[in-house]
Amino acid sequence: MIAPDTTAPVVTVGVYYKIGFRLEPQGRSGFAHLFEHMMFQGSANAPKMQHIKLINSSGGTLNGSTSYDVTNYYEAVPSNALERVLWLEADRMRALKVDDENLKNQRDVVKEEVRVNVMNQPYGGFPWLDMPPVAFRNWANAHNFYGDFADLDAADLKDVQAFFRTYYVPNNAVLLMLGDVKAEEGLAFAKKYFADIPAGAAPPFADPSEPKQAEERRGNVEEKFGTLPAMAIGYLLPARRTADWCAMALLDQALHGGRAGRMYRELVLEKQIAVEAEGGIDDLFGYNGPSQMTTRIFHKPEYSSETTLAAFDAVIQEVQQNGISADELEQLKVKWRSDYYATLEGGRGGSMPKYGLMHLLACFTLFDSEPQLVNSILDGFLAVTREEIQAAAKKYLQREKRAIVFRKPVQSSAPAGAGEKEAA
Amino acid sequence: MATRTVEVATGVPGLSAERAVTWPKRTKAWLSNGLEVILAEAHSIPKFHGELFFRSGNAAVADRASGLAEMTATVVRTGTTKRASRQIEEDLRRIGADLSSSAGADTSAISFAGLSEFAEPLLGMVNELAREAAFPEAEFERERRQKLEEVKLERTQPGFLASERLRKVLFGAHPYAQVSPSEAQVAAYKREDLQKVYRDSYTPENGLLLLVGDFDAQAMMKSVENVFGAWTGKKPETKTYAAPAQLRGRRVYLVHVPGAVQAQIYAGCHAITRKHPDWVKLGLTNSLYGGAFNSRLVMNIREDKGYTYSPRSGVHALRQHGYFSVSAAVRNDVVAASLTEVFYEMDRLRSVPVPAPELADAQNYLSGVFSMGLATQDGLLSQFSTVALNELPDDYLETYRQKVRTLTSEDLLATARKYLDSANMQIVVVGDRAQIEQQAALFGELEIFDAQGKRLD
Repeated sequence: MIAPDTTAPVVTVGVYYKIGFRLEPQGRSGFAHLFEHMMFQGSANAPKMQHIKLINSSGGTLNGSTSYDVTNYYEAVPSNALERVLWLEADRMRALKVDDENLKNQRDVVKEEVRVNVMNQPYGGFPWLDMPPVAFRNWANAHNFYGDFADLDAADLKDVQAFFRTYYVPNNAVLLMLGDVKAEEGLAFAKKYFADIPAGAAPPFADPSEPKQAEERRGNVEEKFGTLPAMAIGYLLPARRTADWCAMALLDQALHGGRAGRMYRELVLEKQIAVEAEGGIDDLFGYNGPSQMTTRIFHKPEYSSETTLAAFDAVIQEVQQNGISADELEQLKVKWRSDYYATLEGGRGGSMPKYGLMHLLACFTLFDSEPQLVNSILDGFLAVTREEIQAAAKKYLQREKRAIVFRKPVQSSAPAGAGEKEAA
Repeated sequence: MATRTVEVATGVPGLSAERAVTWPKRTKAWLSNGLEVILAEAHSIPKFHGELFFRSGNAAVADRASGLAEMTATVVRTGTTKRASRQIEEDLRRIGADLSSSAGADTSAISFAGLSEFAEPLLGMVNELAREAAFPEAEFERERRQKLEEVKLERTQPGFLASERLRKVLFGAHPYAQVSPSEAQVAAYKREDLQKVYRDSYTPENGLLLLVGDFDAQAMMKSVENVFGAWTGKKPETKTYAAPAQLRGRRVYLVHVPGAVQAQIYAGCHAITRKHPDWVKLGLTNSLYGGAFNSRLVMNIREDKGYTYSPRSGVHALRQHGYFSVSAAVRNDVVAASLTEVFYEMDRLRSVPVPAPELADAQNYLSGVFSMGLATQDGLLSQFSTVALNELPDDYLETYRQKVRTLTSEDLLATARKYLDSANMQIVVVGDRAQIEQQAALFGELEIFDAQGKRLD
């Protein structure tokens, strides 16, 4: 996939593999992410440290990320380094070359990542690690995506190579080049370096579907450091790329669109129960299985959880009963269009140009086999009516379609040496 | 030091000819009321990004209360003489705009982005916030209570506790020592205090308006004159503060967080401002040390030893002073081992010249990533504002890469000796003292604090 734009002498390259933490092997929680780290540890012709060194010393930056249904690897470099970047990506798609020492090293690095982001942070993992075991029943959706440490410890090189052979095959990936690249030149390089990487068998994908939810689900997680009680309320989303899904996305903006959104306005600005009320649909275009629209609320300790939840419910009931006005819908659509442009241009700050465009093209290719959706997907959202939004509120924002996680601060500080306990 | 042999890659394609890096033309003007205006066209998307800066931040009013400029900025967006809070937020959404108001140590700013087709109403909103903020009593009171919860919450974040302690240690009685107010200070904020900061600081003579995006610069300059031309106001008097004392010898400051399962290391020393002639040299030295993924410190304590996920070093430029810092969140049992490597890599740069290939790699890195900002409107805005706020030469962006490329190993050795002040680094460690105190004490005289800043034995 090539998207030329000569505005700046910079090209962004990405390789997306259609495997994320949702469908990682059972008994190996956290493995998809650990594996992502291993992809920087050496390939047939570029041993450990060389991937990072070669990109940085070409004037570029690189990273990777693991999400529910895809794992990506991306670089932004001055355009004279395009061929080198493609060579590197092809080298590690063709043959990962890592040893036990690399695996032990990255297992240690990942544990510190989990500590710095989850176990040693106030509200670490809230609610992205707290919510799945409460909301879902299928292991694929419900397990600890960062990984239980015992599972990380159990992972060995055989797991690494098996995962690589199964999912990191060219027929399960898309290569993208965006920015200062000519279409013919990009295609020629892609053929030169990727064409002879042998295809693998079609990867097996476990069924991620959930049994029908018929009751509200609730769970509690202890907050070790933070001072405010918090809660997250998640509602199941309609299927991707349906009219309901478009309506739900705009409803999400009506509820969570910053300070103008109904949640923030009612809970923080008007009733002043909460200090923060935000959230929404995470990565709307980038998931391919059961997902939720989630509201996160941090509320003042003088209000109980039930009082706070009642105030939240009042916001939901208001939109179910009265819908939204024509004026509000018009505002939402203008903002939606404005946000969409911003996503295409950047998406990850100034250091990774066109990340958003890359992400959309990749997901529309891997999930829909229809990358052109990037040009037309906006139309569906701009066509949503007031009636559809109210109908979506009634149909999807039901108590028996939601799950709630309460994150409750412990009153006194935890005793020293309490040990390492997973927050999720 | 890496304990395993580093292998090299084979068959790596070379780099092709570099395409020229061309920064967009800036149109610069001063309105008759003293407002400095800088515009640049960038047509990547049908939007534009802007920022209205005032050259006074928390430091300028630190003698009245810590964080006063930030609180002022927060309340600015909650009401004007023409629009109530809810109206402001809905009107912004109506034109597809994002807006935030904030203050750092040296500046206050209204930042915004919106669709080009609605440029005039967005500039009108910015103008209204800058000139006619009403500081409604109820909004002030709500934001003040919010702030109280925020300052309580930040004391539970290891990263905050580390940077707060380091700034106190490095800057002492200077306003730069204060990164956040205490609960008592927030409780004592008065609406009138905010209004005084607003009257004094939010003036055209104190202002800089930057706009980057999809517009015609000439036409945009006319709009700016129409919208902001009638505004008046003087530059506030600037206060001067004595330079912070030089700190001799390593000392260690442990912030005790019971139950912490990791230790946050944050060490630093005084350095320089952006205007200093050594800035580019120190930037390159920093990128070799710990400022890039491929840097020595990251390769050592992450990729070789696995002590940490995210080690980093950086040079922080405030307007009057700067400092160098290195940070890493490490496993409790390797605090001493990590600090040993932190100083080992510092001392190595101070004593052994950087080999030519490694120097070339670092030069490529720094000049390459510098150009990434070209590709997005907010990337451009950020580069232009750095130049303007720090009063750097007009050709700073155009000449930066060349300056990086002319540096030599001797330059870096001298720079490391001057600024990577290994012998006098001030070391903050945030964690559970039972796990880390003995290790921390190996590196200098130790003081222990709790998360509230109270000295413990």
